[in-house]
Amino acid sequence: MTEISYLAIGPVIALTLGVVLVLLVEVTYKPKVTWLGAIAALSLLAGFALSVAQWIEASDDPIIRFRGMLALDPFAAFGSVVLTVLGAVALLVAWPLIVIQGRRAAEFIALVLLSLTGMILMAGAAHFIMLFLALEVTSISLYVLAGFARDNADSNEASVKYFLLGSFASAVFLYGVALSYAATGSLSLYGAAEFLNENLLLDSASLLAGIGLLIVGLAFKVSAAPFHMWAPDVYQGAASGVSGFMTAGAKVAGFAALARVAVTSYGPYISDWAPAVAVIAAISVVVGTMLAIAQSDIKRMLAYSSIAHAGFILTGLVAGIDGVPYVWFYVVTYAFQVLGAFAVVSVVSGPAGTRSPLTDYAGLAQRAPVLAGSLALLMFSMGGIPLTAGFLSKLYVFREAVDAGYLWLVVVGAVASVAGLFFYLRVIVLMYMNPQSEEGGVGETRVGDPLRVALTAVAVITLAFGIVPGPLLDVVTSALPL
Amino acid sequence: MDVTAGWYLALGAVLFVIGASGMLLRRNALVMFMSIELMLNAVNLTFVAIGRHTGDLNGQVAVFFVMVVAAAEVVVGLAIMIAVFRRRSSASVDDLAVLNG
Repeated sequence: MTEISYLAIGPVIALTLGVVLVLLVEVTYKPKVTWLGAIAALSLLAGFALSVAQWIEASDDPIIRFRGMLALDPFAAFGSVVLTVLGAVALLVAWPLIVIQGRRAAEFIALVLLSLTGMILMAGAAHFIMLFLALEVTSISLYVLAGFARDNADSNEASVKYFLLGSFASAVFLYGVALSYAATGSLSLYGAAEFLNENLLLDSASLLAGIGLLIVGLAFKVSAAPFHMWAPDVYQGAASGVSGFMTAGAKVAGFAALARVAVTSYGPYISDWAPAVAVIAAISVVVGTMLAIAQSDIKRMLAYSSIAHAGFILTGLVAGIDGVPYVWFYVVTYAFQVLGAFAVVSVVSGPAGTRSPLTDYAGLAQRAPVLAGSLALLMFSMGGIPLTAGFLSKLYVFREAVDAGYLWLVVVGAVASVAGLFFYLRVIVLMYMNPQSEEGGVGETRVGDPLRVALTAVAVITLAFGIVPGPLLDVVTSALPL
Repeated sequence: MDVTAGWYLALGAVLFVIGASGMLLRRNALVMFMSIELMLNAVNLTFVAIGRHTGDLNGQVAVFFVMVVAAAEVVVGLAIMIAVFRRRSSASVDDLAVLNG
């Protein structure tokens, strides 16, 4: 077969062209940063349009393209739709940070777009080598983004930690791939599934070790406990304007990859991997919630809360293929919430700031009602208050886990989410009921237009899918891997 | 005595464990990074051994990808470490403990 399906890599081509153009235009013309932003916006728009085209094409006829490398199925198309929108919102959030980078703005935009291409490929990879390459494209871009402020000691530290632990996780993941290859004789996700469906392994030790290492490697990337130690330091040490993107993007792509590998390649072995995933989920919700309560810096608090949310998302995954739609529902709505929360932080503690003590938020409601209102909505949603997307997503994953027979996990999750309300509500109380103290509450409160658009989008997504989840549910229930 | 694929897999496993222990025990960022490279090479050995054993080319080709990605990682990693080294004149990760809690 010699024909090439350009549609399967359409969004990736659009974003890569955007990267090349941004960098070339920068060195050739040294334009105003607005022009670079326009190029990025155009390539994201093209990527989005092509992702929608993929969705239309793939929902009738899902197929594996490029000799088994990339899947063109609703799962990949949906991932790419979500990631292009997420990328656009993330660029709006990061815009004040991009503007103050001066001549380095082009590199920054290019890195965001590059990591997005990696994330999109992670959602579509149908071959372990493709998945590894996509994972590395994403991770390497994010290592650089974490340390983009070279002269900031916190960013340096975040970058080194992210790099060392991230590379370690990649090596663990890769050894998992090698062991699974030893057991199944195939590096294709679907080839492995075929082999496991047709053959009964006499000795499954190598396969189980492989699956275990694979899950550990990906759990590192989505910051699930006990592989989470890097997350708080990295999300705090990175500039506030970009921490949200790092959290949200890595979660969407990481869970897409994890879900596809788990339910397609190792679907026949669900009774072996699901208990392990359940244990990681339980540890994540407990550790994330407990440590978030102890934080006095809002970025660290959000990082620990993202660990807890990783646990909730894994709770949906223990149900296998039945849980995948709700994993999508959770990860998509959560990604926008965490992006919005970090957007508020990037205003209050400055787009390039790394520290953001909670005391800065005392009396924020009087100084900046819009910011306080957005953050309050997002805190309610992350805490799981009804009428928000966060409540429904928790409900769905819990229901799936109960159906799959993991009642104990749901009990742990429910207790943790009640305990979690403490630190989410604490932020709201601080903003609305505490008077502004003399030395605290010094943060900046001016909201630029790009940020206003981003915050509105996030608030609409959080509320709309919390009240009318139907449309998104329809989409995610058909966004299944081939 | 025949040297079968099993021996190579065992050697790969041993090298991987040595690399992982180095990563977890050593305190110099450069040495930690070298340990990660050792882990990747252990994976490479495993890949070629299996590829040779099953006669499947995928295993051999995978190694090229891993090597190229490892090289890309080195580029970024050393740049990050130089940025840190300029500020602190030390490559020990114990000095990088400002962010905690």
